[in-house]
Amino acid sequence: MAADRKRVAGPETSVAPLVEYPIDHQPWTPFTEKRHNSHRQPEDLRPIYLKTGLISEANGSAYIELEKTKLTCGVYGPRPIKRAGQGFSDRGTLNCEIKFATFSCVKRRGTMRDAQEKELSQILSQGLTPAVRLELFPKSNVDIYITVLESDGWGSCVAAAFTVASVALAHAGIEMLDLVAGCSASYVPTSIPSNSNSSSSSTTESSTGAGSTVTPQIFMDADLEEEKYQQGSIVLAYMPSLNQTTHVLQTGKAEGSIISQSVEHCVEACNKIFAVMNHALLESIDQKKL
Amino acid sequence: MATPAFTFTPSTFQKLHPAEFFRRFTTEGVRPDGRLLDSFRPTTVHHGVISTANGSAMVRIGGTTVVCGVKAEVAEPRLDAPDQGYLVPNVELSPMCSSKFRPGPPSEQAQAVSEAINRVLKESKVLDLKDLCIEEGKAVWVLYVDAVCVAYDGNIYDAALAAIMAALNNGTIKVSGGTAANDENSFKLKLARTPLSATFAIFDTTLTILADPNVTEETISDGQISITLDETGLLCGVTKIGAASCSQRVLKDCVQSAKKRTLQLRGIMNQL
Amino acid sequence: MASVQNAVVPGQRLGHVQEYNAGAGTYSHQDFLYASVVGIKKIIENQGELPTLTVQRENSQSAMPEIDAIVTCKVVRVNPRFAAVNIMVVGETPCKDDFQGIIRVQDVRATEKDKVKIYNSFRPGDIVRAQVISLGDARSYYLSTASNELGVIFGTSVAGGSLIPISWQEMQCTKTKAIELRKCAKPM
Repeated sequence: MAADRKRVAGPETSVAPLVEYPIDHQPWTPFTEKRHNSHRQPEDLRPIYLKTGLISEANGSAYIELEKTKLTCGVYGPRPIKRAGQGFSDRGTLNCEIKFATFSCVKRRGTMRDAQEKELSQILSQGLTPAVRLELFPKSNVDIYITVLESDGWGSCVAAAFTVASVALAHAGIEMLDLVAGCSASYVPTSIPSNSNSSSSSTTESSTGAGSTVTPQIFMDADLEEEKYQQGSIVLAYMPSLNQTTHVLQTGKAEGSIISQSVEHCVEACNKIFAVMNHALLESIDQKKL
Repeated sequence: MATPAFTFTPSTFQKLHPAEFFRRFTTEGVRPDGRLLDSFRPTTVHHGVISTANGSAMVRIGGTTVVCGVKAEVAEPRLDAPDQGYLVPNVELSPMCSSKFRPGPPSEQAQAVSEAINRVLKESKVLDLKDLCIEEGKAVWVLYVDAVCVAYDGNIYDAALAAIMAALNNGTIKVSGGTAANDENSFKLKLARTPLSATFAIFDTTLTILADPNVTEETISDGQISITLDETGLLCGVTKIGAASCSQRVLKDCVQSAKKRTLQLRGIMNQL
Repeated sequence: MASVQNAVVPGQRLGHVQEYNAGAGTYSHQDFLYASVVGIKKIIENQGELPTLTVQRENSQSAMPEIDAIVTCKVVRVNPRFAAVNIMVVGETPCKDDFQGIIRVQDVRATEKDKVKIYNSFRPGDIVRAQVISLGDARSYYLSTASNELGVIFGTSVAGGSLIPISWQEMQCTKTKAIELRKCAKPM
């Protein structure tokens, strides 16, 4: 463990404490109440706070907050490619890295970059690259670094990462075709499947059949508690002005109709998010004028 | 300097001759960012910003922002200290906060700051590690104190130490998920003392001392001196890095200035 | 606040290609012009032609060398074939991260190219004004100083004094009055 020698070392292993709940404690379930935050309707997003320009050393930066979900993003570049042996390229490259702070989740995360972070980084690069005019940055590199300070729901975290990164790119003055807004949705069954045990092994269609006896509700921008009950989820990255999708990440099972419905919902929500992004960027102009 | 023939914009001149650019300011008694030589940047402290952490705080000193979160976990105690818990402070200087840092394992600077803070916390016995004992020889609490630098603009040591102290200060170990607060294993961290620091940059050639250097001042300075004091004004640590020489008189002045500064910082930390 | 009325963000539709020419900070896509940066929309009238639509950036992108741009750089290494430099300033905008460039021996001056010796033209540490002639290879931009106003603008002598140009290929140390050879830039 070479990297651990470079940090102040703790014990070799440690475990998260088990949380004891009192007997009368009733956690939220989708069967009792509509949403975890009872003020929200299924299609409601959490309020978004978005601000540019917090990292003075970066070319562009942004901070996003969806209640408990908090992410910061710094954009560096276009700057020369440091890695040797890549050869000449008349297009620029976009490099995206996301890191969860060790204290960002319920369970402590490791200090090293794990597989999930690597996968997410790749998803973000893929979703943002179509929006950036890389042909204008020959043999240069644009680096996007995102730190998740607190995560309240995986899907919303990915969606927020798209949003915050594209605002930071625009803030860095990097030429783009459009902004990219990210939105997530979860499919949550709102009543307990009555035949969950009996039908699971009966028919060949059981894998879809058992779940589809209950049509799931689409919860937009689900938080962590709601994600615990989800059958599946979708994250959509979308360019609102050009009306184009740059990335879709669908996991879990759902019927085609539910998926197309959730995509529609996400597109609608992305347009709302776009208004917030628009506002944050125009605000950065005002700041300098005053 | 013989520069009559070429004219530059100030930003170009600063890039080409940073030290000369800077010297022209300091000889007039001001700094490029408008501060006086002995003034610190505006500082804010926010408590409890991260709900997934057992304790957390965000500290901003000028353009430097540090978010610190405390995570409590359970581990076996060391054989030679069966009744003592662990306190593991680390400072993360991610590539996000400045172009100075590259992805990968912690840079030398990050290691140095982490180690310096670890030493201060350990040597000045900020936390009685016996408080972290659950059952002797079997289980103790581990407090992972991670300070993430969100934006880097110099003087990471002051910002990180302040963030760590503020986060520990509101740290609560909660084993009960409900409202039952009388659980015997849940408790609030008790700090024996709260060390805070003030950092100064030393310029050898002009014998200038600058309080709270920002990143450009840091890179052209010959050395830095950090003075850590607790609330009673007792020294908890003096760290000097770089090859600059420093006379006794300068050191005394710095300690005096640090006393004033840490008092002010304590005031900011204690207001909510 | 009139200017804020014209403030645009990337992706915002600005007009039809039949009405305007696409200028800096804009692009055309399927008959329409869109903004590609955050900034203020400006329309420049062209006589007889379509007016050009540009978006003046609000947050300037970090400087990048472009062909024909005048750059200021610092010499880091020399060898008989070229001088390697770090490009520090493009035009009047400092780069946040230095770009690498090289001045090949045939690009040092315009005449008598075969007589040029790199070590009689540049020394490590010199500040040089040069022009970008090509994007170069994977690593370095190719620069040229083959013009009167291009060449060394600052230098430090062997003795540590600063150098003053006395001709287009000689500089004098302010301390020792010793003469050193350089490809000097003509002061402007």
